[in-house]
Amino acid sequence: MSATFLGYRRGNAVGIRNMVAVISVMDNCNPVTRAVADAVQGTVYLPGSFIRGQLGRDRAITLKVTAGLCLNPNIAAVVAIGLEPRTTRELVELLSASGKPVEWVDIQEAGGTINSIAKGTRAAARLVRHVSKQRREEFPLSSLVLGLECGGSDTTSGLASNPSIGVVSDKVVGAGGTAIITETSEFFGAEHLFAERAASTEVRKKFISEIETLEKEIIALGIDLRGSNPTPDNIRGGLTTIEEKALGAMAKAGKSELVGVLGYGDVPERSGLHFMSGPAPAVESITGLAAGGCQLCLFSTGVGNPIGHQVATVIKISGNRNTIEGMSDNVDFDVSSILEKDESIASAGSRLFEYVLSVASGELTTSEVLDTRESAISRFGPSM
Amino acid sequence: MVRAILLDGGDNVVTLIDPGTQGDEVTLGGQPLANVRLVGDIPFGHKLATRPIAQGERILKYGKVIGQATAAILAGDHVHVHNVEALRARGDLKEAA
Repeated sequence: MSATFLGYRRGNAVGIRNMVAVISVMDNCNPVTRAVADAVQGTVYLPGSFIRGQLGRDRAITLKVTAGLCLNPNIAAVVAIGLEPRTTRELVELLSASGKPVEWVDIQEAGGTINSIAKGTRAAARLVRHVSKQRREEFPLSSLVLGLECGGSDTTSGLASNPSIGVVSDKVVGAGGTAIITETSEFFGAEHLFAERAASTEVRKKFISEIETLEKEIIALGIDLRGSNPTPDNIRGGLTTIEEKALGAMAKAGKSELVGVLGYGDVPERSGLHFMSGPAPAVESITGLAAGGCQLCLFSTGVGNPIGHQVATVIKISGNRNTIEGMSDNVDFDVSSILEKDESIASAGSRLFEYVLSVASGELTTSEVLDTRESAISRFGPSM
Repeated sequence: MVRAILLDGGDNVVTLIDPGTQGDEVTLGGQPLANVRLVGDIPFGHKLATRPIAQGERILKYGKVIGQATAAILAGDHVHVHNVEALRARGDLKEAA
């Protein structure tokens, strides 16, 4: 019997959650968006990141990622809160082909804050009641798109939690599913090993070019990466250099072939293991993965990092016994027996795989029940 | 006795999976590591040298280069940011390069 999970059908994709997104078209709408989401159970609040005043490529990325979060299959319907109709219409048009129910409110047209909150709340309440009629159905692993993430890493990450995630990633990719690893700077020192796994010369060159371009930018700016990565808590956890961190981080991607290289927030065009270019810090990194269609992020932590995401469900996995005890509120899965009881990576990875299927089928994670969730879109250029 | 993990036979460091105190012996998979005692206290998850490492020598973990020694390191010494530097993304070295 091949493994399956229970999810929600969304056209050709499958959601593992059934939520209504209340999302800001731009940052100045966030107070209304937050009030609407607070008023209606079954919604998630998605703050806006700029858009207004952004230019060219930067604006295009923000708009694409905002749309990508709405298009993620964990989202059943959308209430967009905008300031003025033109930009709102741009976003709504990007969502129209999905067939998802989308409603919107423009604060200038609705007549200010109170009327906008009332209008948005009525729309959200109607949509939540509507989408709650949908039932979970059985789906194969090939419907899963996993994000592979780490944060608050230490040396146990490379020894235990990252390779356990690698086992799950290989199982999902082997069954025709998709996994996406990101955090470009965290390949410095390991990229030559990862590049060997590229499915073609083109993919290899594209991947190496992403790493080299970022490193050249850092060097051109005269920056010593040691000031920010490894982070102070990585260093306290025993990680000495970015190279050491990268060699451990890469284990999250298992042993599968690398089939594609994506820009920040891009959706993969095929199944298999992908690399997404993007920053390392967890909030903006997971936001990129969620916009890329990941329903689930496997998040490895050593010294502890509590953050999850509203759209992509996040599973926190740790192999550090001190963190599992000291930050138990924020750890979902314990693989410390790899270090404490000589459990094999394969065995811990198989246990994690069973847990992943349960979460995909509806079991809630720490960041969901505590609502320790945040979303932010990376910006790459200035506003005007 | 404190436990450590060796990732590759060619490595010159191991990772402690217990907090270590000066003078502790180190075990790898239940076997004591010959001729190595902790030179000072070393926290959980941090690395120690399994043999003397010269200034400028590469530090090897996972069988790969993770940096370079900025000072001579004794067997049993704590190996970390005080005596190792990264070789990548070092914009601060641009003038020297």
